[in-house]
Amino acid sequence: MNDREHEAEFARLLEETRRLPRSIEPPRDLWPAIAARIRRRPAWRRWAALAAAAAVVLIVGRRILTGSSEGWAVARVDGAPRIGRTALVGTGRLRVGQVIVTDDSSRAEVQVGLIGRVEVLPGSELRLVAARPDAHRLALARGTIYAEVTAPPRLFVVETPTATAVDLGCAYTLEVDSTGASRLRVTAGYVELVWGDRRSIVPLGAMAVTRAGAGPGTPFVEDAPGALRDALTAFDFARGGSPAARAVLRAARAEDAVTLWHLVSRVDPSLRAAVYDRLAALVPPPSGTSRDAALRLDAPTLERYWQHIRRIQWRREILKGLREIDPRTGLAR
Amino acid sequence: MPDLTDRVRRAQDGDETAFRELYDEHAGRIYALCLRLTGDAATAQERTQDAFVRAWERLRSFRGDSAFGTWLHRLAVNVVLMERRGRSRRERRVTPASGEAAFEGASGGPPAPGERLDLEGAIAALPAGAREVFVLFDVEGYSHEEIAGMCGIAVGTSKAQLFRARRLLREMLER
Repeated sequence: MNDREHEAEFARLLEETRRLPRSIEPPRDLWPAIAARIRRRPAWRRWAALAAAAAVVLIVGRRILTGSSEGWAVARVDGAPRIGRTALVGTGRLRVGQVIVTDDSSRAEVQVGLIGRVEVLPGSELRLVAARPDAHRLALARGTIYAEVTAPPRLFVVETPTATAVDLGCAYTLEVDSTGASRLRVTAGYVELVWGDRRSIVPLGAMAVTRAGAGPGTPFVEDAPGALRDALTAFDFARGGSPAARAVLRAARAEDAVTLWHLVSRVDPSLRAAVYDRLAALVPPPSGTSRDAALRLDAPTLERYWQHIRRIQWRREILKGLREIDPRTGLAR
Repeated sequence: MPDLTDRVRRAQDGDETAFRELYDEHAGRIYALCLRLTGDAATAQERTQDAFVRAWERLRSFRGDSAFGTWLHRLAVNVVLMERRGRSRRERRVTPASGEAAFEGASGGPPAPGERLDLEGAIAALPAGAREVFVLFDVEGYSHEEIAGMCGIAVGTSKAQLFRARRLLREMLER
């Protein structure tokens, strides 16, 4: 077959593609499984959720019209949540200083002013600290919340007993246990955890834990190796020092650049060059990055490197399953 | 004013029988789409079910700005793409032989003895990213801009994947 015949045949193949049957009967009846799944969620719960959402919208709308700024709208989603000692029936208002409490079978949704929402999951205690257009602040004493916020960075803040989560444009789940320790998992954008002068930046696909007396630990990606996580726990919370830091370096992959970047400024100065060199070997820094400046902890230098790492991590997460991303460069392989 | 069919309106009100009728009408179209996007019959059945469950959950958001079939089709594409994004393991590629087997139940359209089976098998054998763009562009008629939006990729990437898919198909043809 010559080239011209190949071209003609390929053109016919494309034409055939456009004539492929639009409908193919499934080899078995798929409806029974579909019916079972759509019946699984009782209708009353769907209506309850819709009613709750509608009520929140009404309350928020009324607030816009009246200009009231006293607290945020809150709606019962499941069970019997309380605001203080008062049962939340349907909808209500969470005022500054008040606490919403959910037992093991209760859930509620709080409208975060006009910028987002927070789901209060079972077993939680959440207090409204500030509700102003320039300050949206909650305090999670225990339990779990899921927050979704669309606002400029740093407008939404959640305090926990061991760290403060500052929203940088994101969605995340935050859990606080009975000791005050917390666990943050970011599902969109990124979050900053702060305690005193200690700061962890947790991007999409990463997590961090906090402990009493230590503040936020070093963030790690969700698929980080067990050895790296163990070494980090020792380093952050068990005074593991340099041996633990070296164990992190041994276990680290290019995918763990988020962790190594944080360690550059956290390890003992005698170990800083080793951490930086390991990071640079795994994920080469952007052009123009000075090793000496980084080792001096020059803020703009580290910030430029961080943005490079964050972009790679973002592409790795957002294209997961669609493209194979080189964790060293962020480019598709 | 959007013209919603009676069945859609009844389904929006929670009428399961009406939704079953919508399923009967559209299942073949959605299954064909899922089968070509995934290249695997078992996965396609799962995604078809997922798409209809998702449609039921979101039915009230359908306002009739487009035909119900168009809305459902787009939703099914999203279901398949999102599912694949969410999976940690890489998608298992099917062999041309199993791809052909998956399409043995194909119905409708003019007969094209041999050729159609070969073509379906070849599409199923494409790498996932290239296959998705090829199916959405060449079979389903979406534009590169629409595909880029659905897949979360750049328009240029969509074009490159289409080029890659066509090149691979051409190579298969030349074997």
